[in-house]
Amino acid sequence: MEYPWDDLTLAFSRTSMFPFFDIAHYLVSVMALKQRPGAVAAAWSNPLSSWLSAMLHCFGGGILSCILLAEPPLKFLTNHTNILLASSIWYIVFFCPRDLVSQGYSYQPIQLLAAGMKEVTRTWKIVGGVAHANGYYRNGWIVMIAVGWARGAGGAIITACEQLLKGDWKPEGDEWLKMSFPCKVTLLGSIMFTFQHTRHLAISKHDLMFLYTIFLVTIKVTMMMTKDAAVTLTPFEDTLTRMLFGRQQQQFSLSEKKAEVKPSSNGSASSASKRGTEPPSSAKRHAKKED
Amino acid sequence: MDLISSLSLGELALSFSRVPLFPVFDLSYFIVSIIYLKYEPGSVELSRRHPVASWLCAMLHCFGSYILADLLLGEPIIDYFSNSSSILLASGVWYLIFFCPLDLFYKCVCFLPVKLIFVAMKEVVRVRKIAVGIHHAHHYHHGWFIMIATGWVKGSGVALLSNLEQLLRGVWKPETNEILHMSFPTKASLYGAILFTLQQTRWLPVSKASLIFVFTMFMVSCKVFLTATHSHSSPFDVLEGYICPVLFGATWGGDHHHDNHGAPHGMGLGTQHSGLPAKAKEELSEGFRKKKTKKAD
Repeated sequence: MEYPWDDLTLAFSRTSMFPFFDIAHYLVSVMALKQRPGAVAAAWSNPLSSWLSAMLHCFGGGILSCILLAEPPLKFLTNHTNILLASSIWYIVFFCPRDLVSQGYSYQPIQLLAAGMKEVTRTWKIVGGVAHANGYYRNGWIVMIAVGWARGAGGAIITACEQLLKGDWKPEGDEWLKMSFPCKVTLLGSIMFTFQHTRHLAISKHDLMFLYTIFLVTIKVTMMMTKDAAVTLTPFEDTLTRMLFGRQQQQFSLSEKKAEVKPSSNGSASSASKRGTEPPSSAKRHAKKED
Repeated sequence: MDLISSLSLGELALSFSRVPLFPVFDLSYFIVSIIYLKYEPGSVELSRRHPVASWLCAMLHCFGSYILADLLLGEPIIDYFSNSSSILLASGVWYLIFFCPLDLFYKCVCFLPVKLIFVAMKEVVRVRKIAVGIHHAHHYHHGWFIMIATGWVKGSGVALLSNLEQLLRGVWKPETNEILHMSFPTKASLYGAILFTLQQTRWLPVSKASLIFVFTMFMVSCKVFLTATHSHSSPFDVLEGYICPVLFGATWGGDHHHDNHGAPHGMGLGTQHSGLPAKAKEELSEGFRKKKTKKAD
């Protein structure tokens, strides 16, 4: 029983991301870009800018981690194969005759498959980020967490900045501050991989990679099937919030209720109740959540 | 200056410049910085809704100077975050200030005499940071503009990053920029950076220790006085009132007069913002003291 498990996880952790998983990642990212309002028209009128946005969507995490570690942000351009791959996917997604790719993508099982494969690349990115930061700072575990996080989920930040610069979107209220689900999960994963790296977590790396990937894929697929954005981490988060920021949280939510007279928000102020009460601009948020 | 160094004051200055900053002075720096974050309108609600964003803001307030200086000098901008003990200390201060039961810690710290002590200690850290920044940039030997810029950035801290910091809090106001409305600490850091650069390039014949000592004394006395009187005018106003009309002509002087001198000692906020709509005014009266203290930062 022991050996097959080890073999399985070891073989899994040595899987190459290159052709298929990367394709799934680029496909999901570019489709997220395309679902943004006005993206198709922008691609026809100004292909270069659309291509640049697509590259930012695909390689945003790497760019952000390069900025954090003072490496050239354009380093991703040196990887010709991946650039060509991403560019061709951008091309067929936006300019395919009769929009065949989009129609194929709208088929649910394909979406699920692509999203699941994209989550696999996320694990690899986090691991790469943590190891990369460890090369610079031997004991800087905060740096390791931050770089792993940036590598895994930084694309959202980069694309938000891009939209801000273009003037498409302004940070109104707290939409910008709400951590999306991939963001939270990546933070969790980054912390776990960092502690594994510093030997605080007694588990081998390939086991952790396997378990974390399974966790990610399951959650992602469940979320997409049930169309529910707040299934999993909410109870855990609630407990943690009440433990750390406890009493005032309740007080605040009470005062909020008094101020806004919102009958539906109950005492446990959590992201779940907020998500339930704030339906608008869901398209935008959806695009962001796809990350 | 020769007189100072010949007396025992020289030894005093030397030992003063060698006092380790880490636990006590850094702690007071973090406390004062995060108090100013709490003065910002909306930051308490932010900390309840989005603790992570609030924590990031607090880190920017505490370590903004290092981040910006690293960015300018092409070093990893999360370089300082490898100092785990400082980060943990600042996080602890953030937690206590925002989430302490009954707001006890915050009330203790904001008690004026206590706060004055912390403000004074913060200025010690600021001057030391300017000196260290200029020393750090010194390997660009002839680039004394680089040295001034690094020292300035190190001294003025989060003020120069205010747009980014506001963005993190969900406020996007590109028109409020620190460079447009320089506050006293920013100006003082700039002048201090120039002085330290002159000292480093041997144009100013004093020892570094005594310069640190004198400049710290100046900053501490100014800042304590300003905080105690809740005023946000700066001691440079008088000097600027004479020099700027000469250098930049009469128009500049008139404008300047309208902006700063027309608003002496606290009474000014009302007149300064008299052009704003009524909505902004009621918000003003509520956050009156808060804003004033923030300006004194």
